[in-house]
Amino acid sequence: MSGDRPTAAMRQVSWAWVGLIALAAAAILIPLMFGGVAQLNLLVLVLLYSSLAQAWNILGGFAGQVSLGNAAFFGIGAYTSTMMLIEWNLSPWLGMIAGAVLAAVFAVIIGYPVFRLGGHYFAIATIALGEIMLIMFANWGFVGGAVGLSIPFIRGEDRRPADSWLFMQFNLNREGYLIIGIALAALVTVIAILIQRSKIGYYLRAIKNDELAARTLGVNVLRYKLIAIVISAALTAMLGTFYAQYLLFIDPETTMRLELSVLIALVAILGGVGTVAGPLIGAAVLIPLSELTRSALGGAGNTLDLVLYGGLIIIISVFQPNGLVALTRRGGKGRSTALPTDRQEAMAEEAPLLGGGDGR
Amino acid sequence: MSALLEIHGLGKRFGGLAANRNISFDVNEGEVVGLIGPNGAGKTTLFNCISGFFPPSSGSVRFAGQDITGWPADRVLHAGLARTFQVVRTFPDMSVRDNVIVGAFARTRRLAEARTIADELLAVTGLEYLAAAMGNSLTIAEKKRLEITRALATQPRLLMLDEAMAGLNPLERAQAVELLRTIRGRNVTIVLVEHVMEVLMPISDQVVVLDSGAKIAEGPPATIVNDPAVIAAYLGGKYRPRLEATDS
Ligand SMILES: Nc1ncnc2c1ncn2[C@@H]1O[C@H](COP(=O)(O)OP(=O)(O)OP(=O)(O)O)[C@@H](O)[C@H]1O
Ligand SMILES: [Mg+2]
Repeated sequence: MSGDRPTAAMRQVSWAWVGLIALAAAAILIPLMFGGVAQLNLLVLVLLYSSLAQAWNILGGFAGQVSLGNAAFFGIGAYTSTMMLIEWNLSPWLGMIAGAVLAAVFAVIIGYPVFRLGGHYFAIATIALGEIMLIMFANWGFVGGAVGLSIPFIRGEDRRPADSWLFMQFNLNREGYLIIGIALAALVTVIAILIQRSKIGYYLRAIKNDELAARTLGVNVLRYKLIAIVISAALTAMLGTFYAQYLLFIDPETTMRLELSVLIALVAILGGVGTVAGPLIGAAVLIPLSELTRSALGGAGNTLDLVLYGGLIIIISVFQPNGLVALTRRGGKGRSTALPTDRQEAMAEEAPLLGGGDGR
Repeated sequence: MSALLEIHGLGKRFGGLAANRNISFDVNEGEVVGLIGPNGAGKTTLFNCISGFFPPSSGSVRFAGQDITGWPADRVLHAGLARTFQVVRTFPDMSVRDNVIVGAFARTRRLAEARTIADELLAVTGLEYLAAAMGNSLTIAEKKRLEITRALATQPRLLMLDEAMAGLNPLERAQAVELLRTIRGRNVTIVLVEHVMEVLMPISDQVVVLDSGAKIAEGPPATIVNDPAVIAAYLGGKYRPRLEATDS
């Protein structure tokens, strides 16, 4: 344990840059090499999921507040921009900002009461939240109900589908989506790195480690959890807008289903929770895999997907609890996340975290 | 001039149990005040009431001229009152340095400045050599020292230590006493909970004795050791079993 060794945080940051550069390079090189529609689609999806996982990671990884309802924020982003486009012909870029703001407000409304409950209620509440949103949107005629919404094509002079940066739509040269995907991934990654190296990042990690101790050091736990969920929700919603523009069709199932929330969390967990490089690595591994199984298993994928994800979660937690990113670290094998025994005693002894105080 | 910390008529009930009853005492700036009492006397409860982990059922707490009764813990910290825990609570998955940086962020928003504060304090408390080690890899003595360092990084005016010496061997204990002298030299007022009278007596200016939730004596160490009520509380069957269990 010498002082000159780089700290864990420094290593994470440098790995994040390596991951980012590798992704950017892959994103540019692979389509040049193959140039196929399928390759481009896969790349866009990898970028999208790595960004979604990165946004999830700010809340679930840094702050330790595991959300299984991030698809709700994703859906808010997708629906907000799409409705603004259909109803008022407003650019999805404006819709993206509006969706982010709406998702942030929504996150505070949800987060405030649920965080006060503390503990594991959060994960459960987010599942419920996602499902409620899904049902609500499926039964809400104004936003297309279960049928969904189609985004009208941008058309050129010749009345044929065209490309438009202003309306974030690329029907001819789909590379436009790739560029926006890269830009969004870079934005989310830079934000994650900035958070990690700031007071907010340190406080979120402290909260994840020990809320009560964090409070003693002056951390307003509720406020910092809300900051984390607001950032996470806003970024996730922005990606929802992008996804809507990419598919040009949205319905509650594609934007808000539970599998999507689970997959987002899983990408981050597989790559390495709480690290910036983790979501990048996780998406690069898991998304091609999931696309492969989807085509291999045919259209019946949905529930089988969940089985596969569940199995993966078990395998990761047994063999690689710190995710794939830990493989890149010194020693290779991830450090056990099991609590040291004296801490277990501490928790047993000072159990009532909230309200009860440290009973002895 | 009024005292830095003024506890007035403080009481805390847990259902039918009165863990603290009508406790009053003052802590003057620059003092080291020892708080002793047999097992279950209510010392930790008193700490929790003062530091904002739960509101007292009755009475008031004034700190630096402000009424801080019932303030939440983070607000109390920002007022300048820090504490450590009887059962250590270091951040297990953060390095020693990062543990201390979290404390330092109470006084700055900039990481570079927080690092500087942390490194300076790690040098003061002699934990520099462990700066990169993870919180969960430390011994109990190191963890206790880290908690103190972390609390100091918040730049408190008053530091409350709940059994900083329990579980330490004689050498570590001597080092801890040395550390307390250093802290005191930095103009930090200290309230110290300890079971081991011998440790507490030589470094305390004032001693407050609790028994069954109530204050039974208060004064300089020399008078406390000869106080009949204290002797009764400690020798009347309660302290004996605790003597063996001191280091548990
Ligand atoms: N959160 C709580 N809920 C219910 N009872 C509690 C709680 N905290 C403490 N008590 C009770 O209050 C009494 C005083 O406990 P406290 O921990 O304050 O004593 P102490 O003087 O710190 O003891 P020790 O020397 O063992 O640390 C005990 O009877 C304890 O069981
Ligand atoms: Mg105690």
